Amino acid sequence: MIEKNYILFPSYNHGLALESLLKQNKIQYIISPTPRQLSVCCGISIMYNKKDEDLIKKLIDENKIDILGFYTLER
Amino acid sequence: MGDYRKLWSDLKMDLEKHDVLCSVLPELYSNVYLSQENRPDGMNYFNFVVSEVHGLRIEELDNHKKQGGKVLGTFCVYVPDEVILAANAIGVGLCGGSQFWIEDGEKVLPRNLCPLIKAFVGAKISATCPYFQSCDMLVGETTCDGKKKAWEILNDYVPVHVMELPQKKREKNIEDWKLEIKDFINVVEELTGNKITFENLMNAVKICNNKRQALKRLYNLRKNMPSPISGLDSLLISQIAFYDDPLRFTQKVNELCDELEGKIKSLKPNNKKRIMITGTPMAIPNWKMHSIIESLNAEIVVEETCTGTRYFENFVREDAQNIEELIDNIARRYMGVNCSCFTPNTGRVEDITKYAKEYNVDGVIYYNLSFCQTYSIEYKKVEDALRKENIPLLFVETDYSEEDSGQIKTRVEAFLEMI
Ligand code: SF4
Ligand code: SF4
Repeated sequence: MIEKNYILFPSYNHGLALESLLKQNKIQYIISPTPRQLSVCCGISIMYNKKDEDLIKKLIDENKIDILGFYTLER
Repeated sequence: MGDYRKLWSDLKMDLEKHDVLCSVLPELYSNVYLSQENRPDGMNYFNFVVSEVHGLRIEELDNHKKQGGKVLGTFCVYVPDEVILAANAIGVGLCGGSQFWIEDGEKVLPRNLCPLIKAFVGAKISATCPYFQSCDMLVGETTCDGKKKAWEILNDYVPVHVMELPQKKREKNIEDWKLEIKDFINVVEELTGNKITFENLMNAVKICNNKRQALKRLYNLRKNMPSPISGLDSLLISQIAFYDDPLRFTQKVNELCDELEGKIKSLKPNNKKRIMITGTPMAIPNWKMHSIIESLNAEIVVEETCTGTRYFENFVREDAQNIEELIDNIARRYMGVNCSCFTPNTGRVEDITKYAKEYNVDGVIYYNLSFCQTYSIEYKKVEDALRKENIPLLFVETDYSEEDSGQIKTRVEAFLEMI
C-alpha cells in the first residue's frame, strides 16, 4: 500500500507533467482525488512514498513544475 | 486541483449544493478504489478521470461548445452514439448512480420508482450535475415505463428528443428502429447544423467499434484465472466509457490491456470464487455491489449489464456501400442488445449461460435495482435456465442507500460458502 502523502497542484496539467517524470524514473505513485482535508477544490493530486520525497523534489525543481505543496495525512 | 467555480456558475449550477456532492467523492473513491491491493498502473488514467470528473471533462465540453459544438445527454445503450459523433457533437451518458440525487428526484416523482430514474431527474432539477448542465439536448427512449414518463418532466427543464424503441425484435421492428434512427439523424443535423454523410457516419462507426473492441479485449483478459483486474476496476472503466473522449479512452484501455497481458503470465491461482453479475445498469458512482462482493473471498469476472457486456458486444458491420446500408447495419447492431424491456428476450438468457462457461464462473448474482419490473420479472427465466446448467444464482434487489449493505454482505457471504 502506498503511504498517504500527497502533492497538490494548481492545475491538472502540472500533475500530469510530474506523473510522466515519475513514470520515467520508476518512482511509485498513485493519482488520487485531492482529499477534502487538504483542499476544498477538487481535482487531482499525486500520492507518493516518503522515501522518494527528496528525489521527487529534485525532479520538480529541475523541470520547473508548479506545485501547491507536499502534505501528509495522519491515518 | 484547478478552480472550476467560474465554469460551474456559468453553467447555472447550485454551487453550494454541488459542493456537498464533491465533498464525499474523494473519500468514497479512496476507500473503495485506492485501497485495493496490486492494482495495475494503467488504472492511474482512470483515477485521473474520476478526480477530474467535474473539472477537466466539463472544461472540454465547454471548449467544444464555445467553438459552436453541441452536447447531447443519453440514458440508454440503445441510443446510437455513431449519429452524435458523425455530426461532430459530443454524447455523454447521464444515468445517475448516486444516492445524493434521490431526495430531489422524489420531489417530483413517486418514491416507488427505480433509483436510476429518481437520481437522473434529481440531478437535473437540483442543478448539481455539470454534465446535465452542459447538455443542449437530452435523448430519451421508450424502454421502461418509468423512463418513458420521466422525459415529460425533464422536458420542462431542457429539450428532450425521445426515440421510440420497439418492444419486439421481428423484422418489421428492425425497420421501425431504422426509421427512428433516421428521425434522430434529422434532429441531430438540425441541432448541430452539420450534415451527416456516409463518410462522417462511417468514421463514427469505426471510432465506436474500436472502443467496443478495446472493452472486449479487456473482458477477454478477465477470462484468465485469476483475472488480472478486479471487477471494481473493470466496472469503473465501463462507467467512464459513457462520458470520456472516445479516442483517448480507447487508447488508454488498450494501454491497460498491454500491461495486463504482461501481468497474467506471472499470476498465481487464487482461491477466490469467480462471480458474474447480471441485471440492471450500475451508473457512476454506484460501486455498491462490487465493493461488497470483492470485500469477500470473490472476484467479479464479468457483468452481463449495460455497464458491461451489453455496451460493447456486437459490432456495427463496416461493409456498407452507402448511407442507407450503413444505417441498416447500425439498426441491426443495436437491435442485438438484449434488454428486458423487449418481449420475448430469450437472447439474454442465452448470453448469460454462454458467459457462465466462457468466463468459468462459480456463481451468478442477479443485481436488480428496486422497482425495476422488467428485470425482476425476467429473473424467473434466468433462474430456470441456470438451474438446468447447475449454476448457482443469488437474487439481490437493492437501491443506492447503504442501509442494507450489511444484510447483503451476509447473504453474499452465505452464497459464496455454499458454491
Ligand atoms: S437496461 Fe435496457 S433500458 Fe436500461 S440502458 Fe440497458 S438497454 Fe437501455
Ligand atoms: S433499471 Fe429498470 S426501471 Fe430503472 S431505468 Fe433501467 S429498465 Fe427502467
